[in-house]
Amino acid sequence: MNRVLDRAFTFFRVALAEMVAYRAEMLIWVLSATMPLVMLAIWDAAVADGPVRGWGQVEVTRYFAVNLVVRHLTAAWVIWELNHLIRTGGLSTWLLRPIHPGWWSITETLAAWPMRLVILAPLVLGLILWRPELIFWPELANLFAFPLSVLLALWLMWSVQASFALLAFWIDQSMGFFSAWVALWGLLSGYLIPNALLPLSLGEAARWSPFYATLGAPVELLLGEAPIATTLLLQLAWSMLSFLLLGVLWRRGLRRYGASGA
Amino acid sequence: MAGAPPAVVVEGLSKTYQVAEKAPGVWGSIRSFWSRKSRDVHAVRDVSFSIAAGERVGFLGPNGAGKTTTLKMLAGLLHPSAGELRVLGHRPYDREADYLSRITLVMGQKQQLLWDLAPIETFELNRAIYAIDRGDYRRRLDELVEMLKLGPLLDRPVRNLSLGERMKCELCAALLHSPQVLFLDEPTIGLDVTMQEQVRRFIFECNHRDGATVLLTSHYMLDIAALTPRLLIIDQGRIRHDGSLESLTREVAPERRVSVAAVDPRLAELGFQEHQGRMIRTVPAEDTNLLLSRVLALNPLWEVGVEAPPVEEVIARVFRSEADPRVEARDRG
Repeated sequence: MNRVLDRAFTFFRVALAEMVAYRAEMLIWVLSATMPLVMLAIWDAAVADGPVRGWGQVEVTRYFAVNLVVRHLTAAWVIWELNHLIRTGGLSTWLLRPIHPGWWSITETLAAWPMRLVILAPLVLGLILWRPELIFWPELANLFAFPLSVLLALWLMWSVQASFALLAFWIDQSMGFFSAWVALWGLLSGYLIPNALLPLSLGEAARWSPFYATLGAPVELLLGEAPIATTLLLQLAWSMLSFLLLGVLWRRGLRRYGASGA
Repeated sequence: MAGAPPAVVVEGLSKTYQVAEKAPGVWGSIRSFWSRKSRDVHAVRDVSFSIAAGERVGFLGPNGAGKTTTLKMLAGLLHPSAGELRVLGHRPYDREADYLSRITLVMGQKQQLLWDLAPIETFELNRAIYAIDRGDYRRRLDELVEMLKLGPLLDRPVRNLSLGERMKCELCAALLHSPQVLFLDEPTIGLDVTMQEQVRRFIFECNHRDGATVLLTSHYMLDIAALTPRLLIIDQGRIRHDGSLESLTREVAPERRVSVAAVDPRLAELGFQEHQGRMIRTVPAEDTNLLLSRVLALNPLWEVGVEAPPVEEVIARVFRSEADPRVEARDRG
């Protein structure tokens, strides 16, 4: 147990040092991923004359404020790193160590949280000053379910990206497939359009998709717009499925690994 | 070491890659969409050898000979296409944590150091990964820092270190866990002569002090000559020689170069030729003593030198003599 804790603590400390070293880059990443604020401006104007399906300016503002925070808490970049490592042979240095390389990548992802939150805080504060009615008190059950939902969403986001990255074991242009995922994700995750404002049948279908499980689910859960048990179960099911898929791709991919250039 | 099991056992090891082929140009790219072609590249073919615990072995061969592929299979990075291999009793490609904790592979062109942090952070990370006791880690780090003279480098970001400084830090990171087997792939590549010498001395000390088994590839013949009493020469995926440098020299370059620091017509009568102010003649090794006695009979005060061909020349001859057209024809087939 001590060994596990020591590893976890050391990994987090070193990963945090890395994030601090990349602070300028991190600032740019966070500020460039503020699409929820752009969508807030658009939807705010769209509902200015009256609520759409019950969504007024307060609901829209709350939704995109939480969306912004969740988007950053569930952000991962493993696809770019892992894809590069496989294609250049850099994965070798990790495969030589007696630990799964995924642990380091997950730790790096979590270590970005403090930096992201520090950068996000003024943005959220600005939103509150602009529209104080944004502040709300979720139900206690929703409040407790929210961190779990965020962690599941983060795992799903990370594992989906890692799965796409692992395709590099077989094909050169694996990133192209991920672009298709991103396009669907933008539409169906709730990132650009709240699920409730999609065409009704599409919105209903999207609610069961992995896209929704990565973002819309935790957002709506905190806002009390989604049933707790069903939402968590849905996320858990997609997370387990992605875990299995990731395991198969990893094992089979390693057999094909050429360690090129290494 | 008599009776101790070998550290490395390789039997009939082969590795074949499938490489996609595409005709050049736009039309080639378009055609490759519906008719993908690939060919087999036999990187390693039916290679067998064993290495005793604590032995230092040089692994030589021209580019593309199969050295690095063999090292990668031994380190567990690649799955072999055929054959058996055992290192410290483990099948490397199973990548068991216990196995990975007992070996290291240093690749001159790849780095494990975290680029934007000081080397000490990577060392700390490896301490946690290899579960090294803090006291042991401190002692080992002090030893390595002393041997490699890393003191002033520990707190500087890796990106600000020179290539040689980075290589020394790489060695430190790779050896913190006191591995029993060191696979070293071009550890001195790109380093200046002084740095090469430091790294060589360090590798020797690791072997001498810790009894670590060393398998080393290098394009620098000095690395091989200075470090490894035994040579494995691989070419076109096959082992061509397994033995000492001396036995190889006897086998492929059995002549000696006799040079006399004088220009004298009587030496020309003995078959010597003038070259840059000296008289030189190359003779079979067994005739050297006879020639020397004749030369010294002419003038016992002459300065006479006898040299075996340089290591580079010996190795180059091995590769030239082994370019077997039958093997190439079979590859193409």
